[in-house]
Amino acid sequence: MNEFALGFSVAALMKGVAITLVVTVGSSLVAIFLGLIVGLIRISPRWPLRWLAVIYIEFFRGTSLLVQLYLWFFVLPIFGIILSPWTVAILGVGMNVSGYGAELVRAAIQAVDRGQYEASIALNFPRIAMLRRIVLPQAIRSMLPAWGNLLIDLLKGTSLIFFITITELTTASKLAADATGNYLLFFAVALFGYYFIARALITPFVRWLERRFSRGFVREVLV
Amino acid sequence: MNDQTVRLERITKNYGTVDMPDNLNLDVAAKEKATSEPMVRFENVAKRYGTLTVLDKLNLDIARNEKVSIIGPSGSGKTTVLRMLMTLERINEGVIWVDGEPLTHMQKNGQMVTASDRHLRRVRGKIGMVFQHFNLFPHMTALQNCMEAPVSVLGLSKQEAEARAAELLDMVGLGDKKSHFPIQLSGGQKQRVAIARALAMRPKVMLFDEVTSALDPELVGEVLNVIRKLGAEHNLTMLMVTHQMGFAKEFSDRVCFFYGGKIAEQGPPDQLFSDPQNERTRQFLSAVLEAG
Ligand SMILES: Nc1ncnc2c1ncn2[C@@H]1O[C@H](COP(=O)(O)OP(=O)(O)OP(=O)(O)O)[C@@H](O)[C@H]1O
Ligand SMILES: [Mg+2]
Repeated sequence: MNEFALGFSVAALMKGVAITLVVTVGSSLVAIFLGLIVGLIRISPRWPLRWLAVIYIEFFRGTSLLVQLYLWFFVLPIFGIILSPWTVAILGVGMNVSGYGAELVRAAIQAVDRGQYEASIALNFPRIAMLRRIVLPQAIRSMLPAWGNLLIDLLKGTSLIFFITITELTTASKLAADATGNYLLFFAVALFGYYFIARALITPFVRWLERRFSRGFVREVLV
Repeated sequence: MNDQTVRLERITKNYGTVDMPDNLNLDVAAKEKATSEPMVRFENVAKRYGTLTVLDKLNLDIARNEKVSIIGPSGSGKTTVLRMLMTLERINEGVIWVDGEPLTHMQKNGQMVTASDRHLRRVRGKIGMVFQHFNLFPHMTALQNCMEAPVSVLGLSKQEAEARAAELLDMVGLGDKKSHFPIQLSGGQKQRVAIARALAMRPKVMLFDEVTSALDPELVGEVLNVIRKLGAEHNLTMLMVTHQMGFAKEFSDRVCFFYGGKIAEQGPPDQLFSDPQNERTRQFLSAVLEAG
């Protein structure tokens, strides 16, 4: 094996890992933020708002991520809107996942016990305060495991940003494997890389949130 | 027309006619009327779910400070009465009045129209409710449960709300459980927190819907004792649905027996329990007493 090619490939691979990390964190934040907003709009008492949220969800959830990325990257410039690959990657992946996230938010809010809503009305809470103080803390707790899955999915989906010219982890592994001929090594590294990011970053983050939102739900002391 | 006259007209129009000499001072008349006004009035209220009529032309007045028990067989509409008053259910016909004001309706350009959210929120503030299944906020401690609404609805400061909540928890005998979460409390303790939580909003009317039905028998007494204490020490109008006939008899000023969405019989507890006039009441009471 060529020493130079190996060193070069490892460096490129590290860069790929870093890029995948940045895009994962960035688009996760976008997905969480937009998912929460759109999910709340989805249950608005005003039907035009609800309707807009439905269209948003249908579009981002119902069409392919790759086509969406192409749309932002290759079609928007036709209308004079030119976005950098990074912007398209983070917003594009984030918005796609937020479509699924919004549905998680809606379902979790609607699954909060009716009695909680009735007690809030009896105590005369305005709708916003009821959502913020009573309903959301309980809904967030119950939607967190599903968000954990969704964000791990998001991580894996980031390999598609190769198609908008970003050399992320999968692409870097492929290039390194091509350059050195050592496909076993580099794809094993790629496999492990994704597993490691999910296991070391996303899962602990979600667990930490779960603990924070579990006050009062479990009798025993939390570990 | 000034406000007072509008108000008077409305009262006379909706509460039946009152003979009013022309030269009577309107202010005095309005005031007298206000104190003799019932705290709660159901006026020809009907409630339907689809084609099922749950309550039919309900007329019921509850005086200030009066303690009224509602009894009756399952499905007779008892819970529905409380839920309509708490605005958890819309009514299909009639008007509900609270403290001399329409709850379900409001005056707009001289007409009675369906209440806006804003109107509902203002009038609803006079009513508090305790539920069969407690409905405490699970993510908050007993103290926080009692502080949350005073802070985010009434705008009290944290300190004021905490003082009020602590006092009420002491009153219901839970001074030592302030930092417990609902899951760490027994059913009876949960229900007492729920009572304190409702009282923290300083309601004028308290509604209790079978508040001891979900409790183990040995925990019923502690909750009833709190309600007794409330009745004795506070100026509260109370309306309670209950299956505790002994308590209804001892505690209430009046008992209403519901049957098939109507008040089949009502009267002072001594009379209604010992000498019921209606055949349905007799059947119901003997069935209940037999069951123990
Ligand atoms: N959301 C609803 N949709 C349809 N029917 C309903 C609904 N809520 C209540 N009902 C019906 O209305 C009737 C009265 O119900 P309600 O809960 O007031 O009875 P209740 O007197 O409180 O009975 P219980 O003693 O069992 O609590 C019942 O026949 C019930 O089936
Ligand atoms: Mg009931």
